Amino acid sequence: MILPSLDRDLEPAELRRLVAEYARREDLWRHLVHHDPEARTYEQIERNEHVGVWLLCWMKDHDTGFHDHDLSAGAVAVVGGQIREDRLRVGAPPTTRVVDSGGVFTFAASDIHRVLHAGTEPSVTIHAYSPPLWRMGAYEIGAGGQLHRHSVSYAEELRPLEEVA
Amino acid sequence: MIDVHQHLWPDSLREVLNKRAAPPRIRRDGVLLLDGELPAPVDPADHDPVRRARLDGAERILVALSHPLGLEALPADEAHEALAAWHDGAFALGDPFGVWGTVALTDAAPADVDAILDRGAVGLSLPAGALAGPEGYDRLGPVLERLAAREAPLFVHPGAAAVPPGPRPAWWSALTDYVAQMQVAWFAFLEWGRPAHPALRVVFAMCAGGAPLQLERLAARGGPAAAAHDTGIFYDTSSYGVRTLDALIRVVGVDQLVYGSDRPVAEPPPTGMLGPAAHHVISTTNVLRLLQATPAEAGIR
Repeated sequence: MILPSLDRDLEPAELRRLVAEYARREDLWRHLVHHDPEARTYEQIERNEHVGVWLLCWMKDHDTGFHDHDLSAGAVAVVGGQIREDRLRVGAPPTTRVVDSGGVFTFAASDIHRVLHAGTEPSVTIHAYSPPLWRMGAYEIGAGGQLHRHSVSYAEELRPLEEVA
Repeated sequence: MIDVHQHLWPDSLREVLNKRAAPPRIRRDGVLLLDGELPAPVDPADHDPVRRARLDGAERILVALSHPLGLEALPADEAHEALAAWHDGAFALGDPFGVWGTVALTDAAPADVDAILDRGAVGLSLPAGALAGPEGYDRLGPVLERLAAREAPLFVHPGAAAVPPGPRPAWWSALTDYVAQMQVAWFAFLEWGRPAHPALRVVFAMCAGGAPLQLERLAARGGPAAAAHDTGIFYDTSSYGVRTLDALIRVVGVDQLVYGSDRPVAEPPPTGMLGPAAHHVISTTNVLRLLQATPAEAGIR
C-alpha cells in the first residue's frame, strides 16, 4: 500500500505524483489487467478515507461519455496504449488530446470531460480520485443542443452494467 | 439477485417454540413471548416458503435464525434442541433458499462449524452480542478460525434485546437496542476481530447500525478508523433506503454493500434510485464476492 496517510483530501498536483508512483509500481496492479472487447474493465487497487485508486482497461470504441466527478478531483496515468480526453466547451467543439503510455493528466472536480480509447492497442490507465468518487454527473446533449446533467452513483461509471452510450 | 438476509421459521422451529414453557416461546394464541421485547403475534403465513420465494424476484434467498429469539444462548440442551429444529427445517427448504447456520454459544466448537458447512450452509450467523468485545472473540476464536479456514463468511445479526418493562412502541428495539448492538459489534470487529482473523469475510446486518457513519469521530478519538476500509467487511441494506445507503457508500464504497431485505420483519425499501449499476453490484456482484461463489455455485443465472 502506498497511499499517503493524510488527514485531508489531495490536490491535483499530489494526485499526479500519486498515479505516477502507482505507474512505476507494476507489482501493485499488473495482475489486475484484463481486457474485454465489450466494455471497459475496472478494478479498485486501494482505497482509504481520502483517496480511491482504480485500474481501467480499454479497447476499441470504449468511451465514458461526458461526465463530471461531483466533489472529487482526479489524476490519470496511462500505463499501456493510448487514450483520448475531450473537455466540453460551450459554443465550440470539445478540446481534445491524446495521451500516450507514460503520460499523466489531472482534472478538477469542476471539470467536465470524456475519456475514450485511442490508438490500435488495448490501453491501461490508473486513476486516483480524491475524495473517493461518490456521486457523478453524466451529461446528455439534447437534440436541440440543450445540456442535461443526470446525477448518478459512481457505480454507473466504475461498476457499470454495460458500455455507456 | 441474491437476498442475503431473510428469516423463515420452518414448522420444526415453530413447534419447538410452541412447546416451550418459558420465553422464548409462542403462546397458544400465537403470540411470541421474549424476555426483553413486547409480545408480538406470529403469522404462520409470513413463514410460508412458497409465498416467500415469489415476493421479490430474488433468485437466491439466504435465511438466518432470528437471533433476537435468543435460542443460541439458551442452556446447552435447550439450545441444541432448538438449533437442530432450525437447521433441519432450514436445510429442508431447498431452492431458492440457502442457509446461514449457527452454533450454541455455551459450547460452540470448530466441529460445529464443520457440521453446518458440510450440510451446505453458506456461512455462520451469530448474534452481535456474542462478538461485542475481547471476551467474545476469545471464547469464539476457535470457531471463527475454523470458519475462516473453510473460507466461509460470518453474518453478524442483532441478538436478544433488553428493552425495559413498560409501554414501548413495536419499533422500539429495532431503532434502539438493535442499532446499538450492531454498532458495538462493528467497533469490536475493527478493534479485536480483524486483527485476530485477517482473512475472515464478515457481513453486518442493517448497515452495522450505521456505525461506519461514525468514522470521523472514531478517528478523532484515536480509534482504528483505517481498519474500516476493508474489502472483507460487508453491510446488508435491511430497512435502509437510498439516503442512508448513499451516505454509507460515501464512507466505505459501493463494493461493500449487499442486498438484504430482512423479510418478514420488514418490507424492503426500493434501492433502485441508486441507479441500475449500483443496484446490480449490491444485489449480485458484491454478494458473490462475499460468498466467494460463482453465479452457478450461488444458484443464480
